[in-house]
Amino acid sequence: MLNKLALSGIKHRIRDYSVLFSGLMIASAIFYMFMSLATNQAFLSSNSPASATSFIFGFGIVLLAIITIVYVNYANTFLLSMRQKEYGMFMMLGAKSSKISKMIFVETFAIGAISTIIGTLIGIVATGFVSRWLISALDMQVKHFSSFYLPAFLWTLLFFVVIFMFSAIKNSISLRRSKVLTLLNRDSQPVKIKRNGVMKSIQAVLGLILLAIGYFAMWYAGNNPGFIMMGIPIALVTIVGGTYFTINSFVTAVLVMLKKNTKYSQKGLNNFTLSQLSFRINDYTKILAMVSMMFALALGAITVGLGFNNQIDNVVNGQNYYDVQITNPDAAQTKRLKSLNIEKKDTYNYKIDGQNIYYRASEFKKQPIGYAQMNTETMQFKLKTSNDPAKNTNAQYELMNARLPSQRTMKVSFVGDAEYNAVNAKGSSLVLVKTNSFKDNLPVIKQISKAEITRYPSLKDAGGDKYSSYTLINGFFSGLEFMGFFLGIAFLAMLASCLMFKILSGANGDVKRYNMLYKIGTQQKILRSAINKEIAILFSVPAILGIVHVLIGLQLFVKILYKPYAHIEIPFAIFLVLYLAYYFLTRYLYKKIVLK
Amino acid sequence: MQKIVEVKNVEKIYGKAGEKQFKALSDVNFEVKPGEFVGIMGASGSGKTTLLNILSTLDTPTSGQVQIAGQDITKLNNNQMADFRSKKIGFIFQDFNLLENLTAYENIALPLALQNASVKKIKPAVMSISEKLGLTDILNHYPTELSGGQKQRVAAARALVHEPSIVFGDEPTGALDSKSARALLDTLTKINREDNVSILLVTHDPFSASFCDRILFIKDGEIGQELKKEDSSRAEYYQEILDSLGTFAE
Ligand SMILES: Nc1ncnc2c1ncn2[C@@H]1O[C@H](COP(=O)(O)OP(=O)(O)O)[C@@H](O)[C@H]1O
Ligand SMILES: [Mg+2]
Repeated sequence: MLNKLALSGIKHRIRDYSVLFSGLMIASAIFYMFMSLATNQAFLSSNSPASATSFIFGFGIVLLAIITIVYVNYANTFLLSMRQKEYGMFMMLGAKSSKISKMIFVETFAIGAISTIIGTLIGIVATGFVSRWLISALDMQVKHFSSFYLPAFLWTLLFFVVIFMFSAIKNSISLRRSKVLTLLNRDSQPVKIKRNGVMKSIQAVLGLILLAIGYFAMWYAGNNPGFIMMGIPIALVTIVGGTYFTINSFVTAVLVMLKKNTKYSQKGLNNFTLSQLSFRINDYTKILAMVSMMFALALGAITVGLGFNNQIDNVVNGQNYYDVQITNPDAAQTKRLKSLNIEKKDTYNYKIDGQNIYYRASEFKKQPIGYAQMNTETMQFKLKTSNDPAKNTNAQYELMNARLPSQRTMKVSFVGDAEYNAVNAKGSSLVLVKTNSFKDNLPVIKQISKAEITRYPSLKDAGGDKYSSYTLINGFFSGLEFMGFFLGIAFLAMLASCLMFKILSGANGDVKRYNMLYKIGTQQKILRSAINKEIAILFSVPAILGIVHVLIGLQLFVKILYKPYAHIEIPFAIFLVLYLAYYFLTRYLYKKIVLK
Repeated sequence: MQKIVEVKNVEKIYGKAGEKQFKALSDVNFEVKPGEFVGIMGASGSGKTTLLNILSTLDTPTSGQVQIAGQDITKLNNNQMADFRSKKIGFIFQDFNLLENLTAYENIALPLALQNASVKKIKPAVMSISEKLGLTDILNHYPTELSGGQKQRVAAARALVHEPSIVFGDEPTGALDSKSARALLDTLTKINREDNVSILLVTHDPFSASFCDRILFIKDGEIGQELKKEDSSRAEYYQEILDSLGTFAE
């Protein structure tokens, strides 16, 4: 009988339960996505040059596990907040508490098991989508990766079964322990009111100081690599602490200030929203601080991952001046050249006599040869030209790589026209082209490079042109980039769902408040905008802090990465889009719960 | 003389057509004049809350007309209803319905803030009503720091601060001890007398009802007899109420 009643209770709250289910499914899906990378040793070792990768992923697993536990804990609170009144009622009517605690155990565990299985399946599909998208969008080469990976599947199930086991036990104990009356009246339990202004102002100052120390440590460590082993731990500790204190006090201080400004606060529902927030902040400090940190780490992972992508350009462009090189162009290659956006095109003739190769010095006078010169210390390159390659080894090197492999070791001479004509050998020509942008012309450049290999099979393993160095380096960095992206997106999705749940788990308690505001004549429109505002602020506090952390945190990479701030808008945009999607989802669900 | 509330042939049926239906109000007719203190009395389940919800635009009647302050409230759309509630009506609920994250002052100021009144206007209005209800010392307290009686007086102040045409109370003393209940009823009576505020009180409690000028008895969704206080004292009136409850119940 009781079971039947409990089930019918679920039917009445199908909306709340669908929120719960979808949240848990997201959690297990993300966990699986992450595990599919992290547990795939073949993938990790073949895609990353650094032995640190396994370590980074190990660290990632620990972080994600912690977030997931916190997350499930919120989901669980949400479940309890929905159910305790009903179970309290059953107990008041005489149901034994052992029976009730068994029921909540079964319910928690069943919800966990079902959502984990469905979520993991979704994770498999999502992994397929995300990886395919990343690979094509970023022109990556990723080896040994498949969206279904059995160990990841098993680990995910095991992990979730264990945490749901604990949640179920926790719920049943907490129900058994609480008094019937507390359960019945939990909604109307008094809110704690804290008024310790002095503590708060000390915290605010302390928080800002800690943040300043952390930021300085990152900047200093980035610019003085010797300090990095000490700088990172210092930054981590101070920034975690600083974030916590800042949110706990500084944000409260801002809210109090706004409240004191009666012109603003006594307009419409502003005061209500401010009060909701300042009561919430106490309760939300931990999660907001955690979300800020995770947000920073995730955004940092993507930004640095993309930084490696920029690295590709840098290295590739530093390797060759010319984007395309063609020996004795045929009609097909000439036609392909026409579709390139050409900035500089040079044609050089040469003759081969035994182990000697002859160029016409006059041709270089007319069309100076371009070459790239890499400064190995700063990792910066310069593009230069020379009209006398006989005296310039860099130019000779560029020219050498442009020749067919068998001709690269020959003795080179730059001779006058008369001497050149006197060489008794068949003449060849070499066409070198620099486009306006290697990236933009990549598809045609690829075609030309492939066609050259078909025409001269010896090029296949020797390379020498820019496209082959590109493929080599791209393969090298893609793995890192892929991991950065994947990690970042998984983390973001997880922490945004965490925040979403935390907000939604308070929604049941807000129903009464909004209902009352409605009764005394607040228009739905105003209620909606008050909710939007409140949730927007809860979302933007960690986002703003996180973004500042990342912007300053990138200082750590100024010496390691080429231009760590280049193209920073891409990861930020991806992040904001995902994060905004969560914001809109949260406020939609919240309104569904709170407003009728 | 103009009427504050005029209810004509109001009927309320719960449940959609085709489903199980329940007639909670049938052919209700009555009116409230400016400055009157009217009580509607009936047993639990007789339709009091249903009637009050309709009068306060929280619910709509199945048929019939309701005019409040000269306006036919059954013809308003949702936004107009909300505006109407926030301007013309004051509410006192049985369970206070204060926002526990706002101080007493902020709770009282809420209806004015909702109308976007200027700060210059809000402060004196809140202070003057708080003085009348004896709340000046507790304005900075949060509801959890107040007793039930204090909370209900804050709720009453919130219901009065924007000078509504009429104040509705749904068993406002239901959750109070007898001393606080009496204090609240005395205050309401005083405000009714001195400021000429019309009050419509819904209750099942004869003691609360005895503070009214006039009582309408409701049973099974129908208004039955009416009992006027006229010149009798409160104690006499209380006895009269008990007597008519006896006859009315039969
Ligand atoms: N939303 C509703 N749906 C169906 N029946 C209702 C609803 N609200 C109240 N009723 C019924 O209408 C009758 C009057 O209820 P109510 O006005 O709350 O009485 P009172 O406030 O006098 O105790 C009751 O029999 C109740 O069961
Ligand atoms: Mg009622």
